[in-house]
Amino acid sequence: MKVMVCLKQVPHQDARLDVNSDGTWIQEDNIKFEINSYDTYAIEEALRLKDAGDAEVVVVSIGPDRVTQALRTALGMGADRAVHVNDAAAQGADALGTAKILAAVAKEEGADVIFTGLMADDDNASAIPPMVAELLDMPSATGVTATEISEASIKVERELEGGALEVVELPKPCLIAIQTGANQVRYASLKGIMQAKKKPVDVKTLADLGVADSAGHAHNKATINKISVPAKGDTAEILEGSTDEIVTQLVGKIKELGLL
Amino acid sequence: MEFNFTEDQILLRETVRDFLTGECSLDHVRALWESESARSPEFWQKFSEIGVPGLLIPEAFGGLGMTEIDFVGVMVEVGRAALAEPVVSTAFVAAPLIRDCEDKALAALWLPKIATGEAIVAVAQPTSPLVGDVHIADLVIARSGDSLYAIPASEVTATAQRSNDPSQKLSTIEFTPSSEWKIASGEAADRLEAMALDRGALACAAQQLGACDQLITMSVEYTSQRKQFGVPIGSFQAVKHQVANLKVALEYARSHVERAAHSVAIDAPTRSVDVSMAKISAGEAALKAAETSLQVHGAIGYTWEQDLHVWMRRAWTLDLAWGETAWHRARLSSALFEDTLPTENFGYVPSLA
Repeated sequence: MKVMVCLKQVPHQDARLDVNSDGTWIQEDNIKFEINSYDTYAIEEALRLKDAGDAEVVVVSIGPDRVTQALRTALGMGADRAVHVNDAAAQGADALGTAKILAAVAKEEGADVIFTGLMADDDNASAIPPMVAELLDMPSATGVTATEISEASIKVERELEGGALEVVELPKPCLIAIQTGANQVRYASLKGIMQAKKKPVDVKTLADLGVADSAGHAHNKATINKISVPAKGDTAEILEGSTDEIVTQLVGKIKELGLL
Repeated sequence: MEFNFTEDQILLRETVRDFLTGECSLDHVRALWESESARSPEFWQKFSEIGVPGLLIPEAFGGLGMTEIDFVGVMVEVGRAALAEPVVSTAFVAAPLIRDCEDKALAALWLPKIATGEAIVAVAQPTSPLVGDVHIADLVIARSGDSLYAIPASEVTATAQRSNDPSQKLSTIEFTPSSEWKIASGEAADRLEAMALDRGALACAAQQLGACDQLITMSVEYTSQRKQFGVPIGSFQAVKHQVANLKVALEYARSHVERAAHSVAIDAPTRSVDVSMAKISAGEAALKAAETSLQVHGAIGYTWEQDLHVWMRRAWTLDLAWGETAWHRARLSSALFEDTLPTENFGYVPSLA
């Protein structure tokens, strides 16, 4: 069985984020990156399948050279191979373009199961997993908190509103978007990291994958016009005086606002 | 010549940092203070599973066969996390000592156990009568006369001593030497002991860098938030220049520590001098960071609940471990002014106050 895991490298949670000069994304120079936290649970879920039986785990990521580190970490955790889509045309691709690239890789790999994180820490879009499934014409489940695999299908538990759980069974091949907390993510071992150097990393371009004419930033349907940090408000007013005075002032303010 | 760390070395260090962020929280550190052993076998097992104790152990014995250059960044992270488990004695000192001694049976017996986390080793050294972690050790390496012994811990009588850092478990030890435990004599013992001392001092210096960096981070965070006269106190020169000076001291020390790691890894002729330079400068940076951090935090820095003292105590105790600053200054002085690398303990008589 071949299991593919889609990884995104995102700014480190402790990185200081500044908006770039044209106001359309963050300044990426000189900040640390890490694997999207949701995707770490997806890797762990895939590695558990590998631990339980005969599965090859292939990790896939799109991005510049720095993405190699995320792939190396995943290989250090136990993945068998990596595919790095490193093509300037792919930088800044929108969700659909990114999904087309990932779907092309999945088709080439012949993945039986695709794991992704539920969303990305940086854009919180949650858009790509169902898009990839749709492009591959395979069933998918999102918000998955538990999986149980059998020969021909995977039974998953997914989170619904209000804490309810839904159990769904998907025939293979299928795509599963994992929720955080679904498992206990293992650490890469130092030995694993050293062995990862010997594991293959296939570098692909959009042309290699046959999607140069349909994916990448030149083919974006959606563009980011502007990102900004919310302006700090200065309308807070601290009421002073004795408790009775404060209550009187507060009631007055509420009346002023027409709320009473 | 390339002086930067390799991508692998950076990844190793960041992996350990991530691990310690997840597994060695302040709650964990403080909880261990309250426990009798101050150590966590569960943590040590996980730490071994990611491979840290086996870093300097040859692959044939289940380790990673790496060098002190690879390990030094890991020790910085150990200091940053205020981890008090026996990484220095077991992984950084004992493992290569056992690897390098001529007793191959000893290596075959103990190195695989160290790599898998099954064995803890305590190491006595000539600059102090105190030995750390004897209370949890399986093996104790100590000198008697002109010989070095690897003694089963059950054959060592340990007397617990006090420390101002609740994470440190120190003892004085006594044992009756037996030929079956002898691992080296004469010059071979001197050589192993000298290398062990340099490794221990280097590992402490690296931890001091981590502790210093953490104290700077805490000071920057606090002075950026704490306001006086309507502005963060970190905007006042009297505060920010002090913290900036700590950063200068840290980076000055870092170059010494990294140079010393290289010297130990290749057993350079200047090894002992480089290690003493590293221990002195890292110690000064960490102690200064402890002092300044307390000043810029003000009264809250004195409280038990504020976490500052976790690293302040580490800075103090690391300064005394594996040769206090005065000892390393004396050794450096001997090398610089008498043009001789030290061969004795400079008349320094370790004793308990």
